[in-house]
Amino acid sequence: MNRILLADDDIELADMLVEYLNREGFEVDTVHDGKAALEKSLNDHYELIILDVMMPELNGFDVLRQLRTHSQVPVLMLTARGEDVDSIVGLEIGADDYLAKPCNPRVLVAHIRAILRRSESATTTPATVDILAIGDIELQRGARRVLLNHQPQTMTSTEYRVLEVLLESAGHVVSKQDLSDRALGRELSPYDRSLDMHVSNLRKKLGPLADDEERIKTIRGVGYQYTRP
Amino acid sequence: MKSLFWKIFVSFWLALILFAGLTLWTTSHYLEKARSETNTNQLRNNTTEYIKQARDITRGGDINALRQWLKQLDRRDTIPYLLLDENANDLLNRSVPLRLQQHVIRLERRSRYDDDEDDEHEYRRPHHDPIIINGQRYRLMPDFRSVTLSRVLNRPRIIGTPILLAALISAIICLLLARYLTAPISRLRLAAQKLAEGDLDQRVSPSMGNRKDEIVELAKDFDYMAEQLQTLFESHKQLLRDASHELRSPLARLQVALGLARQRGDDKATQELDRIEREAERLNELIGQLLTLARLETKTAEVETKPVELNELLEQIADDAAYEARAINRDVKIIKNTPVTINGNSVLLGSVLENVVRNAIRYTVEGTSVGVSLQDDSEKSGWVVIKIRDHGPGIPDQMLESIFEPFVRVGEARDRQSGGYGLGLAIAKRAVYLHGGEITAANEDDGLSIIIHLPVNDS
Repeated sequence: MNRILLADDDIELADMLVEYLNREGFEVDTVHDGKAALEKSLNDHYELIILDVMMPELNGFDVLRQLRTHSQVPVLMLTARGEDVDSIVGLEIGADDYLAKPCNPRVLVAHIRAILRRSESATTTPATVDILAIGDIELQRGARRVLLNHQPQTMTSTEYRVLEVLLESAGHVVSKQDLSDRALGRELSPYDRSLDMHVSNLRKKLGPLADDEERIKTIRGVGYQYTRP
Repeated sequence: MKSLFWKIFVSFWLALILFAGLTLWTTSHYLEKARSETNTNQLRNNTTEYIKQARDITRGGDINALRQWLKQLDRRDTIPYLLLDENANDLLNRSVPLRLQQHVIRLERRSRYDDDEDDEHEYRRPHHDPIIINGQRYRLMPDFRSVTLSRVLNRPRIIGTPILLAALISAIICLLLARYLTAPISRLRLAAQKLAEGDLDQRVSPSMGNRKDEIVELAKDFDYMAEQLQTLFESHKQLLRDASHELRSPLARLQVALGLARQRGDDKATQELDRIEREAERLNELIGQLLTLARLETKTAEVETKPVELNELLEQIADDAAYEARAINRDVKIIKNTPVTINGNSVLLGSVLENVVRNAIRYTVEGTSVGVSLQDDSEKSGWVVIKIRDHGPGIPDQMLESIFEPFVRVGEARDRQSGGYGLGLAIAKRAVYLHGGEITAANEDDGLSIIIHLPVNDS
């Protein structure tokens, strides 16, 4: 059973969601404010944290910010519908995915499964150190570590997956549909900018190549390409 | 003197008195001066000078030239100079006062019969010298007693300067007065215009200084009205925002409850549950739009701007929309695209394009495609224009502006099914406005074009 922490201040909603998610095969703990969410997620082991943005004490963004200084546990943000900026902010500070709330619980489950698949693929990779190295970048697949000029980089599991997929096809274009399927574990939905946000985060974290060339190129109307040096 | 009424009354009155007084004063002053000159040497010297001039002119014996000169002199000088012959008739046939007639006759008599025994007698003085022409003797006599006000006023050259000065001064006073009165009114007018355009922050009384009159009262009333309007408008929007916020919680619970009902696996109500889900989704979308619009319309709607590659954004959205359109046998095609980077908010610009394109898909006829183009504005340099054109029924011309208002329906029957324009175009308009651009609609031969102008403020 996958253990999930759900942080939402709407107690009634949280209770119903627990019931729903239980039936889908998840084990869910709930907290109703930001402080408790941060404590529980740091002290206990969960495979996924679902954070509502609007919470008393600490809001979801603050929890995520503080959480990210200690842990790269997958986080799904529930942003307020109509506040598009929230979703961008969430992804920028390291959420793995977001959903506008209210949302259809079926969609929620699909997102949860996608995130869990991504992080599970890590634990099931063989123990042998499988290394993918291109130019100044090195991916240690077993440990899910990224080294840039031999310096370890922190990144969320989603960012790691996006980078991995791009590196596997370095020098070739990866279409957005493909990247969404393989990295996010779900079909690309129209008007969804989250893939672009993850790529933009990667660009920010890794910077350009040594010769100042763009590391990850946008190929218009198709997708993205990791530049092979 | 605080009220406008008294200000206008007193200042006009004062200006009139000033002008009239100044005119009267200058003329009477002049008149006084002219009269007081009678016994002075100045008058005599003038007369002597004129006699000399007259003699110069009559040297040729031309009596007409003398007439001409006399007429000019009469126009030039305040004091009328009569040129009298021996019988005391004026050369220009003006009436001669009896006093002067007698004086001339006396002078004539003396000069005829007298000898040189009295050199110092008055008639020997140079200003009494006769002018002789063709054997006829004339004498130039200043008739200073005939100097009248009307004569002075009829000779503008004499008092022209002081009157001009008076006119100028009073003009300046009136100008300042008019400005003083109308300046605050134009300020009020400007504020009213801006208020009408939706800028509810307009206040005028702080700009009125220390005035205390009806205009300031009006300004205060205007400010009060603007404040009331603002409060009303704000509370109206606040209500909408709060209501939408509050609607989200029950809707979120409704959706989970629906999910739980489906999990029970009772197939009897699947159709109804599908319907409930669809309607909940619609409600959800509507609430999202309401909140987006409410957020964009708040005073503090801060737009975080970054360089946005507009052509790329357009392409992404056209791609996504094409995917959606093909599912209902329509298409989205990019007709023209130019690389453009503008300083803006990609989320907002994205929602503008998305709203407009999706709207176009909804109205374009089956089998046709929505055309999208981005290019430099040929009319305004430094601007770009985005055009989204559908092949649908178009809209009545009088609706071209109002479709950008929330929940406007073009035709009752058709839109009830299609959902009308809803909030999409209202959101688009607001977002374009926040980017300093403008959005308009135009009917084509077959369909509607939405045209977005955006400034390229690249920095």
